[in-house]
Amino acid sequence: MSDNAGPIAKHHFLMRRLHSLTGIVPIGVFLIMHLTTNSTIAWGGLNSRAHGEGWMNRAIATFQHEVSFINNMPLLLIIEVTLWGAIGFHSILGVYYAMSGKGNTGEYKYSGNMRYTLQRLTGYFGVFFIFYHVATLRWGWSFLVPGGAVWSHEAASSTFAAALQGSTDGFTGWGLLVAVFYFVGVSGLVFHFANGLWSAAITWGITISRPAQKRWGVVCAGLGAGLMVMAWASVVGFATLDYDQAVAVEKAMMDQPAHAELEHEIEAGSDTAMVDQQDVDG
Amino acid sequence: MSEAEAYSFDADMRKANRKKAVAERSVIFKIKRCDGPGKPTRWESFKVPIKEGANVISSLNWIAANPVTTSGQKTTPVVWDSNCLEEVCGACTMVINGRVRQSCSCLIDEYAPLEGDTMTLEPMSKFPVIRDLWVDRARLFNNLTRVKGWVPIDGTYNLGAGPKESHDHQQMRYTLSECMSCGCCLEACPQFTKEEDESKWDTSFIGAHAISQARYFNEHETGKKLKSDRMDTLVGEGGINDCGNAQNCVKVCPKGIPLTESIGAIGRSATVHAFKQFFQGKK
Repeated sequence: MSDNAGPIAKHHFLMRRLHSLTGIVPIGVFLIMHLTTNSTIAWGGLNSRAHGEGWMNRAIATFQHEVSFINNMPLLLIIEVTLWGAIGFHSILGVYYAMSGKGNTGEYKYSGNMRYTLQRLTGYFGVFFIFYHVATLRWGWSFLVPGGAVWSHEAASSTFAAALQGSTDGFTGWGLLVAVFYFVGVSGLVFHFANGLWSAAITWGITISRPAQKRWGVVCAGLGAGLMVMAWASVVGFATLDYDQAVAVEKAMMDQPAHAELEHEIEAGSDTAMVDQQDVDG
Repeated sequence: MSEAEAYSFDADMRKANRKKAVAERSVIFKIKRCDGPGKPTRWESFKVPIKEGANVISSLNWIAANPVTTSGQKTTPVVWDSNCLEEVCGACTMVINGRVRQSCSCLIDEYAPLEGDTMTLEPMSKFPVIRDLWVDRARLFNNLTRVKGWVPIDGTYNLGAGPKESHDHQQMRYTLSECMSCGCCLEACPQFTKEEDESKWDTSFIGAHAISQARYFNEHETGKKLKSDRMDTLVGEGGINDCGNAQNCVKVCPKGIPLTESIGAIGRSATVHAFKQFFQGKK
């Protein structure tokens, strides 16, 4: 190592391992939570305590409830900046490292080699996708959104559906393109995470023997398949969501005075308590 | 089934080809030629009669005796490197039909079973060409010196017998000892790229063979005295972390050496070494 080597070369090991680590914590962990939240649009109907009647209304209400919960977290901006920093670090180093290799899947068609190349391609595409995703929906760069929808955490389902569909009343041509872009983007990133988790275990020296690498591969593939279902459910769920229906549910939730539900439950609870008291007295 | 067979991508195809091989046929050899370092490359084809049991080396011998291309043009004999002719020296490694392997053990029946089939021969692409199919593998050996791939036994007095080794441990190390430095793992590796500038060799990716040899000598009872030096190199630029886990190395290794297991093992040593350096290292 020469004395005038750049910081990446000078702290080679640290940089490499931080690149590996940031892919799992915080980015991978966040991905799991993010897909869990977003896929509520598909399974939120199961939530019997949601503020709505019918499967779809309960799903919209559940998603809104989750988004509101996240937006009420203390020091949210610190969490966000940490994530943006980690993603930026992982992306820049990742692209730099990926460019040091030269794929050869044409000659060596082994599955491991295919995954090596796919890991790099999904990385490049993922950087592009995440930037668009965060810029349009979080930073409000609505000029990049067909139809110009601005995402709001207070009307999370409807505004996202509008951004994904290209308008507030159904798909437009550009909207379809955005939806397909999302579908490819999230699929690629889920693969990138699952495959990265598999190779990180070799990098850190956790899996050494071939059977161990294979076993861990099955675990990672299982996790990847589960996340993939959640990712697809999220994209399809919002791409097929009815804007007006979502607005109606969100309005009803906004109109409801804070803690109305809770007060109602306390009142109901005290009634029951009185009844119980009477029973005891009787 | 041996490890090497288990890893072979096209073992079934080659077995089937051997069965359908036609006797007394001619095969076209399409060879990438180059007259010397830095000279332009060109393709030349030769029509070679195939005898029973013919391999690439015997066919190259025939071409050397009859250096006339398929278009009837007289040319220079094709140059290649070889030594043992029994797949233990690694010298005759070249790219055959797009994939790297030793040419001495490459039977024509397995690749070109029918009349007029083509065999494509190219030099390895990751090393500088000396001439035709002959390459300079100096960087491969340089990388073995980077990891101090040896056992330190020299002293100013008799150091006596080394420590005893268990049978199982011997067996594990025997597998690693089979490496013949042929370069297949490097040729197939997407992270190991050609580097003509010798001054950059020590910071470019070291390759699976050197990582596996580092493990081989780290595991040796006397060899482990240099473990810390080896790990200093391997945690540095061009070391273990540059591996991209494509795992082509283990698939093309003609000796079936568990190279990816060595990569995992050295990865673990690197993790431990780095933590040790952080908490008790002096530099």
